[in-house]
Amino acid sequence: MTDAADAAARDGRVPVTVLTGFLGSGKTTLLNRILTEQHGMKIAVIENEFGEVGIDDALVLDAEEEIFEMNNGCICCTVRGDLIRILGALMRRREKFDHILIETTGLADPAPVAQTFFMDDEIAAQLRLDAIVTLVDAAHAIQHLDEVKPEGVENEAVEQVAFADRIVLNKTDLVDETTVAEVVSRIRAINAAVQIIPARHAAVDLEEVMDVGAFDLARVLKDDPEFLTETEHQHDTSVTSVGFELTGELDEARLNRWLGALLRTKGADIFRSKGILALAGAPKQYVFQGVHMLLDGQFGREWQPAETRRSKLVFIGRGLDRDQLEQGLSACLSTAGAAA
Amino acid sequence: MTAPAVGVPLAWEAAVEDAPVALSVRAGTAAVAGADGRVWTVDTATGAVRPALELPGGALSVALSPDGRHLVATGPTGYGVQDRDTGRTVLTETGAWSATAVWAGGQRVAVARGRQALVLDAQGEQLWATEPAPSTVTDLAWLRDGRRLAVAAYGAVRCHERHTAAPVVTYPYVGSHLALAVAPTGRWICSGNQDASIHIWRTRDGSELTMSGYREKVSRLAFDDTGFWLAADGAPDVTVWDFSGKGPAGTAPRSLSAHRKVTALAWRPGGAGHLATGGDDGTLALWHATSGRPQTRLSPARTLPGGSAVTALAWAGSELLVVAYRDGAVRAVEVPPGVTL
Repeated sequence: MTDAADAAARDGRVPVTVLTGFLGSGKTTLLNRILTEQHGMKIAVIENEFGEVGIDDALVLDAEEEIFEMNNGCICCTVRGDLIRILGALMRRREKFDHILIETTGLADPAPVAQTFFMDDEIAAQLRLDAIVTLVDAAHAIQHLDEVKPEGVENEAVEQVAFADRIVLNKTDLVDETTVAEVVSRIRAINAAVQIIPARHAAVDLEEVMDVGAFDLARVLKDDPEFLTETEHQHDTSVTSVGFELTGELDEARLNRWLGALLRTKGADIFRSKGILALAGAPKQYVFQGVHMLLDGQFGREWQPAETRRSKLVFIGRGLDRDQLEQGLSACLSTAGAAA
Repeated sequence: MTAPAVGVPLAWEAAVEDAPVALSVRAGTAAVAGADGRVWTVDTATGAVRPALELPGGALSVALSPDGRHLVATGPTGYGVQDRDTGRTVLTETGAWSATAVWAGGQRVAVARGRQALVLDAQGEQLWATEPAPSTVTDLAWLRDGRRLAVAAYGAVRCHERHTAAPVVTYPYVGSHLALAVAPTGRWICSGNQDASIHIWRTRDGSELTMSGYREKVSRLAFDDTGFWLAADGAPDVTVWDFSGKGPAGTAPRSLSAHRKVTALAWRPGGAGHLATGGDDGTLALWHATSGRPQTRLSPARTLPGGSAVTALAWAGSELLVVAYRDGAVRAVEVPPGVTL
């Protein structure tokens, strides 16, 4: 079991997978695959896009997207009212579900969906956002990512890639290898830490997209060590990701102050943050994930006696300044001088 | 099923095969709606249970007419209306979220359907409908003796009357309104909100007030019979606000603490300030909620330990409290006059 999946399994909440991706990327095909596979799980599906899903064993609920602002002084804080309602009703049922799947529309902004799991107490207590899985159509991905939007309007394809914990690169049979490589490199430029799963007809192992414990940072960082030092910028407003790995222990109070201030001031531009942390004095790893200004975390597995205490963090967002982030983070090391 | 504490006078105990989410008690009948959509009636004298109807998409609310002869149940995909004398049942499956139903007297009932509210006669025939709100209707309440309907949806509470589909008055507030309470005097409209606040409008001039600082979203709130007291959840504690005189502006609420998390509250009929509350830890408490000074924490009159969460409470007169539990138990507790349980 991976570190993150291990931490997730301990927490007892029902995992929720969010499926995003443009119309025609294969969301419904993947959903039907998940539902027809003999996995023995009781699954509830919430659909925002009226697809051809209809499996006797699964409960399928339709929803229409309703985005609500929250009056909490958090400028980017929006939630999905439709999901709060439906998930609330689902939790009151006698039947317990092993897993919940939410299929969003192709144009959906993933932020309010993800923020719903942080902002509603009932939901946060009983459900856990396991992973955002984004389907990308290999044949049309570049076209979608390059699409120029009017000023102030986000490109949904870029957002969906930026928010993803897993990307299913679908329809690879319809394009040549060069195109696949180009799409992969475009995805990596936005979200370097994401695991990309190439697929045809949305055929993927369910273990790769369900109950994955949000992300497995350790594996990604091992595969792509360059990610940690890469300083290459495209231009300042583009969506990129930066990763850090620090040896040593972090001072919890300093880290809270720094991270709190960072998300308060830059939260609108930081789409996601994730980390596995070594906190000074803690016998266990601390695993966290965030969406814009909101953070959620819990302790994971114990550190092994001989293991080097090491923290790994990833930020995905717009106009990220690696040097500045690195300085701030280094100052949180318990061995660093007193914080200013 | 956990037995209640020894010595508590249980009038009867019944069981239904679902997780109750709503209760309605009128004229000697209790209606119980289960999350999966089955609805039963229970005779409040004997505890005898009878199946009433079943909503295929699950249930969210149930409402008996004041004479107990008609029943409306609502759910995530539609609603059902039943004439209990003839047994005639009409199920309307629209796929739209139907949050609640509220009777105005015995002949008309307002039913939420998606972004609209419909007003039906007792047989379920539509009399009139509001124009659609910008988002799904979450709660309804009648004002002015059933001539004006307050409709809560994200962003505003809109008041409608029969002669026009558009609202006659709109009370805007940017927030997700989860529950609505209207003072029986008609002076106040209050909404419990997703952003952990209560928003209050004075109907006369539309002046408004926000009570924030709750720990959690406020999804249950209720005025007592006098309209002077409002009870609300939104924290481990129940808060009770004083709406007498100029209202609660600048005042502090009374705070009632007994449950891990409040899951139900119901004022005892009669206006003596007695409030029954239930929690997700199965506890049940009865309070003299209006005594004591503001900001003092009153101790509960009596707490019944339980196992399964309390999901709904309703009074059958002033001496019988009907309690629904998540495991399907429905119990009636005899409450003698006074604040003892």
